[in-house]
Amino acid sequence: MLKSTVAPMLLTLHTKTKSNNFLTLKAATFCSTFPQNPPTVRRNASTNTLTIETLETPSYKLPPASAYVHLPFCRKRCHYCDFPIVALGSTSTETADDDPRISNYIHLLIREIEATQKTQIDQHPPLETVFFGGGTPSLVPPKLVAKVLETLRSKFGLSLDAEISMEMDPGTFDDKKLRDLIGLGVNRVSLGVQAFQEELLKVCGRAHGVQEVHEAIEIIGSCGVRNWSLDLISSLPNQTQEMWEETLRLTIEAQPNHVSVYDLQVEKDTKFGSLYTPGEFPLPSDTQSAKFYRMASRKLGEANYNHYEVSSYSKSGFECKHNYTYWINKPFYAFGLGSASYINGTRYSRPKKLKDYTNYVKNLEDGLIDCSQVDDEVNEGEMAMDIVMLSLRTSKGLEFKSFIEDFGSEIAVELCKVYEPYMKSGHVLFLDDQRREITEDEFSTLVLDDEKLENEIGFIRLSDPDGFLLSNELISLAFGVIDP
Amino acid sequence: MATNLKLFLSSQPPPHGNHHRCAGATILNHHHLPIPLSNRTFYSLQAFGSSTNNYSRSRRRRFRVCSKAIDVQSKDASDLEATALAGRDRLLKVPTDKIRNFSIIAHIDHGKSTLADKLLQVTGTVQSRDMKEQFLDNMDLERERGITIKLQAARMRFAYEGEPYCLNLIDTPGHVDFSYEVSRSLAACEGALLVVDASQGVEAQTLANVYLALENNLEVIPVLNKIDLPGAEPNRVVQEIEEIIGLDCSNAIYCSAKEGIGINEILNAIVQRIPPPSDSAGRPLRALIFDSYYDAYRGVIVYFRVIDGSVKKGDRILFMASGKDYFADEIGVLSPNQQQVDELYAGEVGYISASIRSVADARVGDTITNYSRKAEQSLPGYKEATPMVFCGLFPIDADQFPDLRDALEKLQLNDAALKFEPETSSAMGFGFRCGFLGLLHMEIVQERLEREYNLSLITTAPSVVYRVHCVNGETVECSNPSALPEQGKRKSIEEPMVKIEMLTPKDYIGSLMELSQDRRGEFKGMKFITENRAALTYEMPLAEMVGDFFDQLKSRSKGYASMEYSFIEYKESDLIKLDVLINGDGVEPLSTIVHKDKAYSVGRALTQKLKELIPRQMFKVPIQACIGTKVIASESLSAIRKDVLAKCYGGDISRKKKLLKKQAAGKKRMKAIGKVDVPQEAFMAVLKLEKEVL
Repeated sequence: MLKSTVAPMLLTLHTKTKSNNFLTLKAATFCSTFPQNPPTVRRNASTNTLTIETLETPSYKLPPASAYVHLPFCRKRCHYCDFPIVALGSTSTETADDDPRISNYIHLLIREIEATQKTQIDQHPPLETVFFGGGTPSLVPPKLVAKVLETLRSKFGLSLDAEISMEMDPGTFDDKKLRDLIGLGVNRVSLGVQAFQEELLKVCGRAHGVQEVHEAIEIIGSCGVRNWSLDLISSLPNQTQEMWEETLRLTIEAQPNHVSVYDLQVEKDTKFGSLYTPGEFPLPSDTQSAKFYRMASRKLGEANYNHYEVSSYSKSGFECKHNYTYWINKPFYAFGLGSASYINGTRYSRPKKLKDYTNYVKNLEDGLIDCSQVDDEVNEGEMAMDIVMLSLRTSKGLEFKSFIEDFGSEIAVELCKVYEPYMKSGHVLFLDDQRREITEDEFSTLVLDDEKLENEIGFIRLSDPDGFLLSNELISLAFGVIDP
Repeated sequence: MATNLKLFLSSQPPPHGNHHRCAGATILNHHHLPIPLSNRTFYSLQAFGSSTNNYSRSRRRRFRVCSKAIDVQSKDASDLEATALAGRDRLLKVPTDKIRNFSIIAHIDHGKSTLADKLLQVTGTVQSRDMKEQFLDNMDLERERGITIKLQAARMRFAYEGEPYCLNLIDTPGHVDFSYEVSRSLAACEGALLVVDASQGVEAQTLANVYLALENNLEVIPVLNKIDLPGAEPNRVVQEIEEIIGLDCSNAIYCSAKEGIGINEILNAIVQRIPPPSDSAGRPLRALIFDSYYDAYRGVIVYFRVIDGSVKKGDRILFMASGKDYFADEIGVLSPNQQQVDELYAGEVGYISASIRSVADARVGDTITNYSRKAEQSLPGYKEATPMVFCGLFPIDADQFPDLRDALEKLQLNDAALKFEPETSSAMGFGFRCGFLGLLHMEIVQERLEREYNLSLITTAPSVVYRVHCVNGETVECSNPSALPEQGKRKSIEEPMVKIEMLTPKDYIGSLMELSQDRRGEFKGMKFITENRAALTYEMPLAEMVGDFFDQLKSRSKGYASMEYSFIEYKESDLIKLDVLINGDGVEPLSTIVHKDKAYSVGRALTQKLKELIPRQMFKVPIQACIGTKVIASESLSAIRKDVLAKCYGGDISRKKKLLKKQAAGKKRMKAIGKVDVPQEAFMAVLKLEKEVL
């Protein structure tokens, strides 16, 4: 499945070799915007419109077709969270409608979008994906979300079948709110469930209980949202194997077509950071959390979810298009507090504090900042590291041929050799152009002849779950090859 | 004639105004000034009360000779004048009987630096304002010069009963690795201040150095420091000094260097109690070198004390031990920065710059004499630097081999005790076998190579020089386990033995005997020096002592015991080579030569430590210790289960990338042994810990 739907999205990136094989945007997709005609919720696994070959521009220098919008409001901070958020306190969802903190922020956000320079002034392609992340974006009143979408649409254009995702937390939306959002064009929901056990939700400091989780799942179903993700965290304090099994079972029963499973990461400046040490009680041991990971991979796989990225699973055709732009090193806009954009090969992170962000927007308006500055000297090594680290997170893996074209065969061959022992240990898979796995015997012949290696290998990927589990270790080995 | 001359000003221009050292530019001619008893030369101690109060810095600071001129930019006119006068006058000559040479003996943190600062300040040698600058400059210098910045000297001027005196403070280093250097700087003095923290009491480092001082017939003045602190118990500490060291403390001085209490008394006591140098200016020159360092612009700068005769600028001088001769381009005193003078006489302390290329040509302890009027005998006490500890240094990156050689050559310019020769190893490639005075010396050199020369190194376990008698009658000297002739070819192995003397309060006798026994020591004798203190004598293999013996001695005796050792002989011993296998591959740098009886415990300790130090790999890794092919200890490293599987939220990959880069950089610091990445720390730490567990 991945080959049919995702492969065409993958880019080839060019920094030095000029080849005829660039993926750029098809002229036909430069469609104008339809502001008075918001798109309806629809499946977004439809044919991909991003991929048609033309010449010249490396794809990371194309105008972005994706936008991340950060809506930082939460009722309270969860105990594991170190994202830039604004905690509103126990304000109920009703009164949040006219909370000046939200409306002021949205105003600022809109100013940022408007002040952002388009990379191609004359012919900007419409956005294909928008992702409202947070924070808890579902706390923002739909009428304000409408303003943001409106601004994006008039600024960049919004494709008719654009994927518009929103992160939502149980207990922060009802039937009406979700319908309103759908009416605005939101067609994908990412539901932050995290766990199905009251005690675990409590330990995490979540602002909802299990009851709200079930209600939220029901609301999503009743509103007819087919494209939704259920997001989980594994390796929580005191989480047992039984709990995790139950969580996976209930997740599968809820029938989302996408599941994200994040392995808990204890961050320094969080409540968890002050209470717990990774791998030590009450957190599960490394062995235990590796078990959780394997269990998720197995159970979700049995339920027909593809493990298409280290922490993402989906039914066929329901990969998160927006997140996929990250894994294939495509450019994207980002707006809002602490958000990170990737334009013209330049990664830029906005300030994480509201005051600094306010100043940033002002400076942007005054023309003092250009986060899409064309950097003629995009560092090749850095680019290669980005590509390796991002693509190896996916089940598709690293496209070997285009990696050779972009960074030369020397590094590519060296990479194969560094991975040879890990191929034998089952952590790394080498695939040919038809995605057939190259056996150990075949590989040991190939490795003797650099040219054969270059010709025969089509993809390098990490195995699921063993390779994925040790992705840092394996990717940092590749870093050592790129930057010796 | 010479004695007469001394009464007059040096013909070299004294420093002036903003520049202490302004060779010849602005000259105030003092030729016609009479004996240095001008009124302005003196100021009462009270006059410095204000600056004393301002001075409340408690940070540790040392005065080191600084080759740069220090700007004196005082806004206060009277301060400026006083400093200028002091700066000028302290170069004035005084009769030999008005010279006092002394050092300060103190345990670390007992306030030596603060006291030295205070003495300089009260005598007007340095103003509090300049001290900051000096502090910073010298800390930088210390970093640059590492171990060779171990001795400093300062010339001060002090009036006692209306007479001007010249006081020379000579500082000493404090680690047993450098006990030879300490003995030489003490040999350059007639007296010493024994500074003891009034709440801490006497400690090991102090003891070792006090005994060196007493051996050198120095007049020791006990000073109890920090008496202003609430925990001070001067009476108890006085008793302790009397009991432990056997020093008469009836006239011990109570002081607080920080608060400026008792400084005057100390200065008076220096004049009253420390004998002046003998007036032997008429004899042929003999000057004792107590420190030297390499200056990139001027060559080696030699610090010395004139014992006999005199030396003047332009003299052709001869270093009696190295046999090298040079012309003295520059002669000066340290006050505390270098200030040029024309001539120095018996009893005086100063420096010479003579375009000397390497410190090995002007070693500490060597005697300087006049080339055309040679002394008959050099001064006693000179010793060649004998490396006691050897180890291999290998660059992690083979390309750095030439850089390592250059770096070692440069370090050697400044460190005569450092020896090295090329070595190759199958596992480690090209490197050097290096000899050091001790473990601290080794660590300092390694750190300097890494930090200053940007090299990544692997250090092998330290070893001594073994003498191997082969079956074919040959005798091979071997300091490297991997170069040990094969088992079948060896007839016997001899190892160097040392005699070790420990001085300890009686409470720790048992514990130290146990330590010595554990280290294959042979008991030779014990005697009580006082009711509470004993001297223990053991004979023990040097190999057992090179590691952490000194640290163990200190920790087992709560810091009160001190020790010294000397080589006695080579002696046959039942030694074997212990190898380490990681994942089945032999790791030569981890091989050690151990006594047969200890092989099992060392093997166990090694494998356990390696298990701790080697990061888990993606597969299970066995770690084994072997004698020949026989495995005597084994551990296994379990495979890593999982990494931190952070998400890249909102496409923000920067954090994740940083983490991965760090991880990649970590791998670079490791040495691949077969399939296993072994961090450098494993090589380094194992060599220490192996001793610890014994």
